[in-house]
Amino acid sequence: MLEIDNLRITYGKHTALGGVGMAVDKGECVVILGANGAGKSSLLKAVGGVVRPASGVISHEGQDLAQVPAHEIVERGIALVPEGRGIFARMSVADNLALGCHPARARGGAEARRREVLELFPRLAERQKQLVGTMSGGEQQMVAIARALMSNPDLLLLDEPSLGLAPIVTKEVFAALGRIRETGLTLLIVEQNVRASLALASRGYLLEAGRVVGSGSAEQLQSDPAVQRAFLGGTSEPLENELN
Amino acid sequence: MFLSTLFLGLVLGGTYALLALGLSLQYGIARIMNLAYGEFMLLACFAVTMMFTSWGLGPLWGLLIVVPLGYALGWIIHTVMMRPLIKRSGGGGRLEVDTILATFGLLFVVQGLMLVTFGSDFTSYSYLNQGIGILGTTIAANRLIAFVVSLVIGFGLYAMLIRTRWGRALRAVSLAPDSAYLVGIDVGKLGRQGFALGGALAAAGGALVSMFQTFSATDGVVFTMKALIVVIMGGVGNILGALIAGLLLGLAETFVAAFIDPGLTMAATYTMFLAVLLWRPTGLFGKAGG
Repeated sequence: MLEIDNLRITYGKHTALGGVGMAVDKGECVVILGANGAGKSSLLKAVGGVVRPASGVISHEGQDLAQVPAHEIVERGIALVPEGRGIFARMSVADNLALGCHPARARGGAEARRREVLELFPRLAERQKQLVGTMSGGEQQMVAIARALMSNPDLLLLDEPSLGLAPIVTKEVFAALGRIRETGLTLLIVEQNVRASLALASRGYLLEAGRVVGSGSAEQLQSDPAVQRAFLGGTSEPLENELN
Repeated sequence: MFLSTLFLGLVLGGTYALLALGLSLQYGIARIMNLAYGEFMLLACFAVTMMFTSWGLGPLWGLLIVVPLGYALGWIIHTVMMRPLIKRSGGGGRLEVDTILATFGLLFVVQGLMLVTFGSDFTSYSYLNQGIGILGTTIAANRLIAFVVSLVIGFGLYAMLIRTRWGRALRAVSLAPDSAYLVGIDVGKLGRQGFALGGALAAAGGALVSMFQTFSATDGVVFTMKALIVVIMGGVGNILGALIAGLLLGLAETFVAAFIDPGLTMAATYTMFLAVLLWRPTGLFGKAGG
């Protein structure tokens, strides 16, 4: 579904990604792990059309995305929930969801999708008239994910969905992502909360200084010494305990 | 006396509100402070006057012609003149400075062309000038029609922005342009449409003002200043705020002229403006932050 080959991203003289390759198959949930500055967000921004690659290929359903403008990416079936959420804070929940249907591909079946999304996030159903800027961080993240789902995506990109959220809210957001995964939607997640994201994902990649230094199934990554050392404090306890 | 002053104030305020709506849209959506806004209004004034005096076409029919022309002119100016500035700015604050300077230049170009074409004399025409009695007071029919049409356009625009897909997208670009791409909105295209829509509203304002007010080719700055004051008082990009601020300004000017001194209307306008700037810098109905 998504193939990335030899992707290089530079900001002036700084190289954020130095020849990264990866693939995401339909229905998979793939997590990208890495420390701050490893290039995770740059990778997601490149797929989302926000950052132009210096070289390399980003291919979605066989079509090259490298030169597609950011606003057309969502029409290709890729919805991005960026770091910072990118919500319309001074608009209501209902308006944010309605804007999610702005792409032409999302106009058919919008009402049914809205019902599904509100079932997924019942808290939003009660607050449709509320301005999003007045909601808590967790609720704003739910609005951002719900809005992305309204665009009828094939692939959902999530950049640090738990950033700045309290543990209990993070649990709620990941529970919703689990339910989204069960629908068969393909997910590509960049996340610092390694335990939660490996519990959700089927596979993952480990980025370090702009390069892929490891990859494998979620179980393999969980027991990978490099991942344990860097993110899990050297423990390999079952993750379910932490999420349940 | 009180009722007639109230009516006159509302009528004047309705026109101010309509004037301000276009400028508010152009700045709120396209991020362009168009200092030549009043000149585009005057172009509509002259066009409607010509259509009335030469062809006998009523100003409301003239309005239907100049509004799409205003949209087209706004579109062309944005495409030819503003787009290179937008590209050069890279989305930074330089755009505001560049477009203020560019439209300041455009103001004199359009004003010069109008002076050459129409001369510097005051222009007016007589259309439905007879008085109509309402609640014991008399008001000119043309002013009443201008007021009603202003309100219809203003609330129609508000409903469009709130209820339609296009309006919601325009508001999204106005409120959070950096997030609009996430829902497939082409900010450049919507900015151009917002600027063109502002041009259409300037044309509508010009057509209505020409029905009851004498004007000359050099009056554009006055219209722009009044519109700017209303936009800032109502909160930049706030359509309902502009409508209410326009009505308040019209009422304040008329009441000061009727009950204090006609020479103090400008002083009253700028006192209100300064008070808002000092105590409510985001406007009477504006909100801080994005």
